[in-house]
Amino acid sequence: MISVHSLSKKYGGATVLDLQELNIPKGELFGLVGNNGAGKTTFFSLLLDLIESSSGTVSINEIDVQKSEAWKPFTSAFIDESYLIGYLTVEEYYHFIGSLRGETIEEVDLFVKAFEPFFNSEILNQKKYLRDFSKGNQKKAGIIGALIGHPEVVILDEPFANLDPTTQIRLKTLLKEEAQKHGTTFLISSHDLTHVTDVCERIVLLEKGVILKDIKTTPSTLKELEHYFSN
Amino acid sequence: MSISLKQSISLSKKKFFRAPQWELKLAARIFIGFIVLYFLVVFLALGIGLFFIIREASPDQDPVSVVNLWIIYFFGIDFLMRYFIQNPPITDVKSLLLQPITKAQIIQRVMLRSLTSFFNFIPLIILIPFCVVVSVENGSTLSLWIWFFAILTLSVTSNYLIFLINKNKSIAIGTLIFLILGYLLETYFKIPVISFFSSGFEAIYTQPLWILVPLALFAFIWQLTQRFLKSQLYLDKGLGKKKERIIGSKLKFFDAWGTIGVLLKNDIRLIIRNIRARQVVLMGFMFLFYGLFFFTQQIYIERPVVLIFAGVFITGGFMTAYGQYVPAWDSEYYSFLMGQNLPYKEYLKSKLYLLMFSIVLCTFLSFPYLYFGKKVMLIILAAGLFNLGLGSLINLFSGAYNATPIKLNVKAKAFENTQAFNLTQLLFSLPKLVLPIIIFYLPYAFLGFNAGILGLVFSGILGLVFQNKILNWIERIYQTKKYETLASFNKSKI
Repeated sequence: MISVHSLSKKYGGATVLDLQELNIPKGELFGLVGNNGAGKTTFFSLLLDLIESSSGTVSINEIDVQKSEAWKPFTSAFIDESYLIGYLTVEEYYHFIGSLRGETIEEVDLFVKAFEPFFNSEILNQKKYLRDFSKGNQKKAGIIGALIGHPEVVILDEPFANLDPTTQIRLKTLLKEEAQKHGTTFLISSHDLTHVTDVCERIVLLEKGVILKDIKTTPSTLKELEHYFSN
Repeated sequence: MSISLKQSISLSKKKFFRAPQWELKLAARIFIGFIVLYFLVVFLALGIGLFFIIREASPDQDPVSVVNLWIIYFFGIDFLMRYFIQNPPITDVKSLLLQPITKAQIIQRVMLRSLTSFFNFIPLIILIPFCVVVSVENGSTLSLWIWFFAILTLSVTSNYLIFLINKNKSIAIGTLIFLILGYLLETYFKIPVISFFSSGFEAIYTQPLWILVPLALFAFIWQLTQRFLKSQLYLDKGLGKKKERIIGSKLKFFDAWGTIGVLLKNDIRLIIRNIRARQVVLMGFMFLFYGLFFFTQQIYIERPVVLIFAGVFITGGFMTAYGQYVPAWDSEYYSFLMGQNLPYKEYLKSKLYLLMFSIVLCTFLSFPYLYFGKKVMLIILAAGLFNLGLGSLINLFSGAYNATPIKLNVKAKAFENTQAFNLTQLLFSLPKLVLPIIIFYLPYAFLGFNAGILGLVFSGILGLVFQNKILNWIERIYQTKKYETLASFNKSKI
């Protein structure tokens, strides 16, 4: 689904990302871990064509994201609150995304209503603008927004941060279900090693822009990661 | 312990030089400096000229008494302007709350800092030269300077009143109604409303002891403001966010327009739901009245080139005011938009249609100018057509080079508006103004008025015919500028 070839990003003389080869198959729950400055967000930004690569290519479904915009119909992301439109209500925001993805208002309403357990009655019908939501609720709203229109690739940056414990656990179930039911490919970055090893089938560890580990998740993965990060 | 002036300056300096496109901002600051200087000179001239104008008009009256007749209007308008533009700097103090500074010190800082507002200098700039001229011509008296001091006191009182009314719409509307009603009652029914205030000011002028009234008023308002601010220094009071009412939730009309309708719907919501956008749009529509300035004066009526200039502003006021910040209006969520299933061209098209719609609307709204004759109306229509065909495209084109982000829900301050204002933008606004004048002037100089009008009409139609081609070209520029724009828009967040 996603393939990366000798992708690099340099700022001035400093290399912040240097990925030789990375392939993510369709339907994979792909986890990305690493300390601040490891290059996680840079990678996501390159994938979404928000910054220009210094060299190499990244393609989604064989489409080079820098050459064509044809990846947009089946790709979506929630990186941070700048992915929300602050002056809209949640419903208006969902309808906006939905209409860009060719869904009717009724379809969108029906789709998001199914996530009511995840929303915990804090998101829909709130009669307030997204900018007035708390950080955690903004995140909840944004994550579900990224699922509208059945995208094949969903990129989530730190989805667990700012969520309350109940919602974190519900999110894990939700992600697994979505991947299983629709074959959605998820790219998830997280600082929370427990959650990311719980959810993801594969975990890539970045350090200073380079892949240090590329692991198929097993029961011992969490220990392995904890060991790495404690040194 | 409080933040020293040096620290404060150093922080401001860092904020400035670390902002995106700061070089352009510096140029903009210098430019704004010139504008402020220009206004200073204008007000200064007004202050000096005021005396002679009054003496000319009513030679046997004391000029100060004549000023007193009108001064309540000055205070009324000053109050309304403050209401719309002045922003009590209270939200900035959040970070100070946990510092080892007392609340009284914080409040004092806020109150003193608000004195630096431009509005507090207007009476100074106008009245000092006025009073100096009065003293030179009529002899200096103590009562004159006490009168001057009283006005300053009231102006500063008005400054704090803005804190107290705290965005209370009904007070602002009440003030406006009072001014209009007062004027009407006074002039048509001889009921002394305005002259009540006039005699109050006259009393201060003739019997200086009356100065105690404005002084007492000031002391009272100062105390009240202090107490009010103290009660507001909590997160769930003045420092927190107010809950907003949802407006514009039904805009079903746009649903039939496909993707462009969806984007237009967003733009409408952007305009009505964000302070900054509302402010700019209001300013844009103010340009509708710009014509009154030109069309009422015979010297301009005989110069069609000047009238073209007015026509371009009348029909393109909104376009210029709002359009110059395209795409910066969407800067807060530009990355999101760029990742959506949304071709760049559709996005640009929606912006173009919004601008075109505004031009049509402004042209319709300018029909009352027909009062000034067919020629004036013809000029407005021709200028409107130019804006519709070419002006809108030029506007969109220049937007590709404007990468300074906008904070949507924050008010712009008078003369501090360097937010998304830059020199490139200014340079780009030149063709918007100069081009229609050239297009008019060349045929006009050789073939006469009608040829000039035809020139504008033709250029507008040309723009409409080739709109799609030009839009394709503009889209390519936006594409190549995309990463730069994104980097700049995102910089403000980090």
